[in-house]
Amino acid sequence: MKRLRLLDVSLASVSFLVYLALYLPILLVFVLSFFSMRRGRVRWDTFSFEWYARLFSNESLGEALLNSIIVGVTAIIAATVIATLAALHVNARPSSRSARMLEYVIFLPFLLPPIITGLSLLIYFREIGVSRGLATIIVGHAVFVLAIIYRIILTRLNALSRSLVEAAQDLGASRLQTFRFIILPNLRMPLLTAGILAFALSFDETMITLFLSGTDGTLPVRLYAMMRVGFTPEINALITLILGFSIVLTVVFAFAWRRSGGTDNNRITRI
Amino acid sequence: MANHETGGLAANQDLPLLRIRGLGVRFGTFNAINPLDLDVRDGEFLTILGPSGSGKTTLLRAIAGFQAPSEGGIEFDGRDIADMPINRRPFNTVFQDYALFPHMTVRENVSFGLRVRGTGRKRLNDRVDSALGIVGLEELGARYPSQLSGGQQQRTALARAMICEPRLILLDEPLAALDAALRRQMQNFLKSVQRQSGITFLFVTHDQSEATTMSDRICVMRSGSIEQIGTPRDLYYRPKSKFVASFFGASNIIEPCEVIDARNDVTSVRTAVGTFAVAGPAPEGGSGLALAVRPEAFGIGNGKPVNQVELTVVSVSFIGSETITELRHRDASLEFKMKTRSDPAASPPAPGSVLTVGFDPAECALVSGDRG
Repeated sequence: MKRLRLLDVSLASVSFLVYLALYLPILLVFVLSFFSMRRGRVRWDTFSFEWYARLFSNESLGEALLNSIIVGVTAIIAATVIATLAALHVNARPSSRSARMLEYVIFLPFLLPPIITGLSLLIYFREIGVSRGLATIIVGHAVFVLAIIYRIILTRLNALSRSLVEAAQDLGASRLQTFRFIILPNLRMPLLTAGILAFALSFDETMITLFLSGTDGTLPVRLYAMMRVGFTPEINALITLILGFSIVLTVVFAFAWRRSGGTDNNRITRI
Repeated sequence: MANHETGGLAANQDLPLLRIRGLGVRFGTFNAINPLDLDVRDGEFLTILGPSGSGKTTLLRAIAGFQAPSEGGIEFDGRDIADMPINRRPFNTVFQDYALFPHMTVRENVSFGLRVRGTGRKRLNDRVDSALGIVGLEELGARYPSQLSGGQQQRTALARAMICEPRLILLDEPLAALDAALRRQMQNFLKSVQRQSGITFLFVTHDQSEATTMSDRICVMRSGSIEQIGTPRDLYYRPKSKFVASFFGASNIIEPCEVIDARNDVTSVRTAVGTFAVAGPAPEGGSGLALAVRPEAFGIGNGKPVNQVELTVVSVSFIGSETITELRHRDASLEFKMKTRSDPAASPPAPGSVLTVGFDPAECALVSGDRG
């Protein structure tokens, strides 16, 4: 009894320390985005939104953030369409040659070191005479997140009973109607999950982007460039904002997941 | 009366609703269905009965269009539908796992067939109401499939298949997932819906008693071929093969047997355990025959003057209204099973004692032995 208690206490303290190690730096960044620091001590009398103000007047950072969002959203839309088509094909004919090949090929850019993916895309674009810019970054990110989106959608498709599709067709639905009324509603949650995950991956992807960006960089690339010339407290403000955004995204995601949980339970009819 | 047989109108009525000719399905080198013919009459309840692996589900899937046949033709109401896409075929299916759409309510599930056809709202609602009424689910339209019991899911699946008023419904072992009591209830229900709606039912099952209670005709399948087609009584009393006989409970098989005389609709056969009389003519090609006798056809001693044989009691088990006695013949190592009404007054025979049992010539059948 007593030993069990001791175990509980020690486990609790270990988890506390782990959380502390994980979140303390983030907390520090958050605090420092409002205060100044001198000689390792926070000066509590300096509370201001100065860094946020400077951040918003920093056009290059704003532009980088916008680039990140454009790249993320466009790449995800493109990748989702391709991944969904690929997953539908593999799900319908899992033992065909094309399906087996797709399985390997689609994961390659994700598994290869980013430096290889980035470099090969760079060489490729140069050879076909495409100059670097947002478009090339979008292609790079789309290729990179394709596998994740594909895997999430395929998993859900494979879990769907094949007889659902047969039942829909049996009742007179065309292929398009079957997709729209039966498959798509069951893909809503995985599409949302895949989208959020892919956006997170795209948002902090640095290596591939570094090779493919011309003068327009995404946020991580821009931050990286800034760090080389010196660390400014605006970065704290920026990180705090991104953190806030991530938290909102996570909450929205969790909420959507819970809400769909009710209908998700419905997906496999009791037998 | 005479022209009922020969007249033009009658000939039209005799045209089967579904006509299958030389239909075969091969998976690689494996023949799931050997080319076979089958006619399904308009308005009948036809059951395809067979053990697992007999090809019954494959046959149903080929008719529904889920499985492309390797050869042969399917005609529906005189039209060739072998190459018709699934969604154009004029009949519907009730699936073994029901395949209810999990993200749709009962109403939405049932109305699906009308919705994809673009039926107007008023008409759609009326039809859905009436379909839900037929299956007794008026109250549960707003529920999701996961909130239904097995029987209710089954009813929903049936209503969904009936909504487009098909002339034929295919049912793939729809009762397999239900417990025994509910299954019996659903058997009666399905049968009454079929009778009242007049829709032709093509029903697949591996359960002989289910097939017997529900069907107008039964088509017994075995390893990809049709073994025998007939009414439940035909198959029960006049099985053509050893397989059908034992499938329908005639577990006492005496073979080999040889026809020694056939006249006045009584055939005499000689077997290792004696000579017996069998009602009916001798089957054609009378070699490789076996005599099949139902356990309940046996009776002890004096009441049955013909077809008597002396057997030794091996064991007796009392199962309530009936008593099952295991018997063995002293010469041949043939074993028999006898099912008799339990008699409260008499004590059961002791193991080792010798009984004279007999059976009526009308309650046994000459069947073909194992083929191949």
